[in-house]
Amino acid sequence: MIITTRAILGSIFCFAFSATGLTACTASDVNKVAISGSSTVMPIIATAAEDYRAHHTDTRLIVNAGGSGVGISQLGRGQIDIGMMSRDIRPKEYEQFKGLDFTVHAIGRDAVIPVISSEVYDAGVTHLERKQIAAIYRGEISNWKDLGGPDKEILVIDKEASRGTRQVFMEYILGDKDGLAKGADLVLGSNNEEQTALTQSDSAIGMLSLAWLDDDVRGLSLKLEGGQIAHPTLDHVIDGTFPIVRDLIVVTTQNSSSEALDFISFLKSDAGQTIVSKTGYIPLSSSSSSSSSSSSSYY
Amino acid sequence: MSTQPDIAPRWPTFFFKRVGVTRLAIYTSVAVSALSILAICLTLILNGLPILGQGGIHLLTSDWNPASGHYGILPMLYGTVTVALIAMLIAAPLGILSAIAISEYLPRAFRIPVKAALELLAGIPSIIYGLIGIALLAPFLSDVFDLQSGRTIFAGGILLAVMILPTIVTLSEDALHNIPHVYRETGAGLGYYRYEIIKDILWPIAKSDIIGAMLLALGRALGETMAVMLVIGSIDRIPSPLTNILSPGQTITSKLGREISETAFGSPHFQALIFMALILLVIAVVLTASAQFMTKTETRLVD
Repeated sequence: MIITTRAILGSIFCFAFSATGLTACTASDVNKVAISGSSTVMPIIATAAEDYRAHHTDTRLIVNAGGSGVGISQLGRGQIDIGMMSRDIRPKEYEQFKGLDFTVHAIGRDAVIPVISSEVYDAGVTHLERKQIAAIYRGEISNWKDLGGPDKEILVIDKEASRGTRQVFMEYILGDKDGLAKGADLVLGSNNEEQTALTQSDSAIGMLSLAWLDDDVRGLSLKLEGGQIAHPTLDHVIDGTFPIVRDLIVVTTQNSSSEALDFISFLKSDAGQTIVSKTGYIPLSSSSSSSSSSSSSYY
Repeated sequence: MSTQPDIAPRWPTFFFKRVGVTRLAIYTSVAVSALSILAICLTLILNGLPILGQGGIHLLTSDWNPASGHYGILPMLYGTVTVALIAMLIAAPLGILSAIAISEYLPRAFRIPVKAALELLAGIPSIIYGLIGIALLAPFLSDVFDLQSGRTIFAGGILLAVMILPTIVTLSEDALHNIPHVYRETGAGLGYYRYEIIKDILWPIAKSDIIGAMLLALGRALGETMAVMLVIGSIDRIPSPLTNILSPGQTITSKLGREISETAFGSPHFQALIFMALILLVIAVVLTASAQFMTKTETRLVD
């Protein structure tokens, strides 16, 4: 019964979709804006798109996820109007689409936090230096007792090389966004997977987006070079003390429609920025350091 | 045959024979499957073989690092073979014994319900197995063996064993059940115990079919992706010593599952991944062919 209902709904949806698609093509009274890319940025865009539709009934926003890489390559091939990304555009990607003039719009910020199992945190490891974390990932330190913690082997959790979160994290920790982690014990993918593994272990270290911290996975504070301690809190991320932050961006080209640009100015407006903070990220306005669109200047 | 009165209604005969629907349907479905196989083989060969031209020696190392152009596939090959082996070692004895129990010992009325229940296992999506693996199996293994993490090659093997069990049980049970009853009665008439009937009469007859079932199950084990990917730890490393299956690893399929969507089409990284898929395809073809061979060579029994 459920299956039949679903099938019927599905076919109706498909039909309706193709029908509107046709009308959009023939009589262009509805402007389609296709958006795709990073699943980190998507919650912001999807929520904003709903609000935007309420006031702009003549614009159809179609939002899909797929990853930052998918976003930029679809934009490059002209399949979409706006690409969502949680990392910068790579030189390779600029090269691949030479004829296009990419414009990067920062719409919010996010922090990547080194996280450890609550057992280790409660045993006294509450902050580490960048060098110490680097040594863990390189495999030079393999027991928590060397860092003032309990006598337990460290379960080092790495992430898939293509993940935006890993690239931002390793850029800071190892100084190379593709840096090798020889000490890694597990390689996982999404924030979800990483958080589960950290929760299940009592001796793990990993990396997560700010929004994913909880009682089982504790964010480590970073002891900066000057001796100052940066806490993984919204305050320290916003005032720029916490060093591992990234811009969440949307990208357009010279071919993107005026409706696409209008939607982006909505994202940057007060209403749009409220949505950014509601979805768990950091709005542009509250960060003291200027988040320009140029690459990696925000470290 | 020819003397039997023709009592069948005429219209289906007319419809199917004159219009040729049957032939059309058969030809179309054969063409569709043959063409998809051909397309898969061609795609894999065209996209995978070029990697051999650019430093094929690198493939036989255990260093995988696309950023610096290293594509060593040995850890993935090791993981794939080991996981499949563990799965077979667990599932084969269990499966054969279950098949014997269902076919020879259970009351007839139980045969269908028990088989149906086992076959239900085959219908569960592999992602569900993966989730159960993460939620129950991995923590259990880390407790029992005192490991840092239960996400190991062994965990992948156990999950796979459960997943291929239905294939082995169903096909092996069919093989036993298909042996005419007269063989058992003859054995009993000669004074054989039941286990002797199974061991000395039924097993030699059903053996080739059962081995065929094993090979088909092995093929499925090699190709399984999601469940293994979630529990194996996904690290491109051959454990030392080689027999240390309680350490994390990587299979060809889990590697593909994690990386294929992020690679640029046609890049060396992509080619290396496709090349591994090609290896998997070759293994699968060999296994399927041998399974066919095993099940076809024996002369069929007649009642």
